Amino acid sequence: MTVIQTLIDKQDSFEIVRDQIAGILAAEVTNQMALATAAAKDSDDWKLRIFLERSNPWEEFLNTPVVDKSPIVNVWFDNSNFDKSASNITERQMCSAVYNIDCIGYGVSSEDGAGHTPGDKTAAFEAQRAVRLVRNILMASTNNYLQLRGLVWRRWPESVTVFQTPIDSRTVQNIMGARIALSVQFNEFSPQYTGQELELASIDIKRESDGLVLLETDYEYPL
Amino acid sequence: MGLREVAATDLAKIVENIDTGFGWDITLTNPAGTSIPLKGVSDDISQAIDPDTGVMVSGRFASVGLVMQTIYDAGFVLPVGISDSSQRPWLVAFSDINGFPYTFKVSESNPDRMLGLITCLLEAYE
Repeated sequence: MTVIQTLIDKQDSFEIVRDQIAGILAAEVTNQMALATAAAKDSDDWKLRIFLERSNPWEEFLNTPVVDKSPIVNVWFDNSNFDKSASNITERQMCSAVYNIDCIGYGVSSEDGAGHTPGDKTAAFEAQRAVRLVRNILMASTNNYLQLRGLVWRRWPESVTVFQTPIDSRTVQNIMGARIALSVQFNEFSPQYTGQELELASIDIKRESDGLVLLETDYEYPL
Repeated sequence: MGLREVAATDLAKIVENIDTGFGWDITLTNPAGTSIPLKGVSDDISQAIDPDTGVMVSGRFASVGLVMQTIYDAGFVLPVGISDSSQRPWLVAFSDINGFPYTFKVSESNPDRMLGLITCLLEAYE
C-alpha cells in the first residue's frame, strides 16, 4: 500500500552540502589563483584540482610522465548521524554528517644545484599546502554556514590525518595524502502528508455595546 | 672453491648475462656525477602483491640488482639512498623492454653480503 502521493524528486540535504563543499572549493581556488596573479605571484602555488566522490582520482599520478603535478582534492561523503533531541519524527531531522576531504600531493626528486630536491618532502609539502588552502576556505567567516544559511547549522573541521607511505613500500612516485574530516550539521526534510482541502468558512465575532455577541459567517451556499 | 663462492659466481653469471640470463644494460652514476656502465637485473612494474594482505597494490615499483664485486672493480663504493638535499643522489638509468629510457634516484639500497648482490629500490628523478 503506497501512502506517498508525490514523486521524491529532490536532493537530500547531505547531497546539497556535499556539492556545496566542492563548489565552494572550486570557486575559491579559481579566485585565489586570480588574486595571486594580481599580486604578481605564481598562481600555480594556489592551484588545486577538486574532485567529487571519486574513488581513485590520483590515478594520474601513476602515469609517466605526470602532466599536471598540482595537488588533487577529493570530497566524499563518509557518514551521518541523526540527533533525536533536535528533531521531530514528522518533518525535520537534524543530521550530523562527516565529509572527508582528501588532499593528495605529488612530488618527484629533482636536481637542484649541487644537491637535489627530495620528492617525498615535496609530496608532503604539496599535500599540506592543499590542507592549508582547503581549511582556510571552508573555515572562512564568510562560509560559516557554507553559504546555505537556514539549512546548515554548523561546520567544523574534526581532524586532519596524514597518510604516510609505508616505509617498506617504496614506489617510484612520491605521493602523500592528508584527510580533513569536516563535520556539518544540517536539517534533513522528508515528504509530508498533503491534507484534503476543506470547505472554507469564516466567522467574525462582534460584540454590541449592550454585551450582545453576534457571529457573522461567510460560506458558499448551497454547499 | 666452497659452495658459497660457487653460488656467488653463479649468481653473477645469471645477473650479468645479457644473452642467456636476466642481464640488462644499466648505468650507475655516483653523487660526483661519474657514471659506469653495468649489467644487472632491472624491474619496473606497476602493480605488486602486498605481502601483508595478499591483495594487488596499485603503484609503480622499480629496482635494480647489481653484482657488488663489479661495482667495486669499477672503483665505486656501493650506492646508497641519500636523504641530505644538499647532496646529489646516486642515480640509475636503464631502458624498459621497449627501449624507452628512464632515470631513477636510488632511494634505498639493500646489499646482500652473503652472495654479493645489491638491490636498489628506485624512485622517479628529473
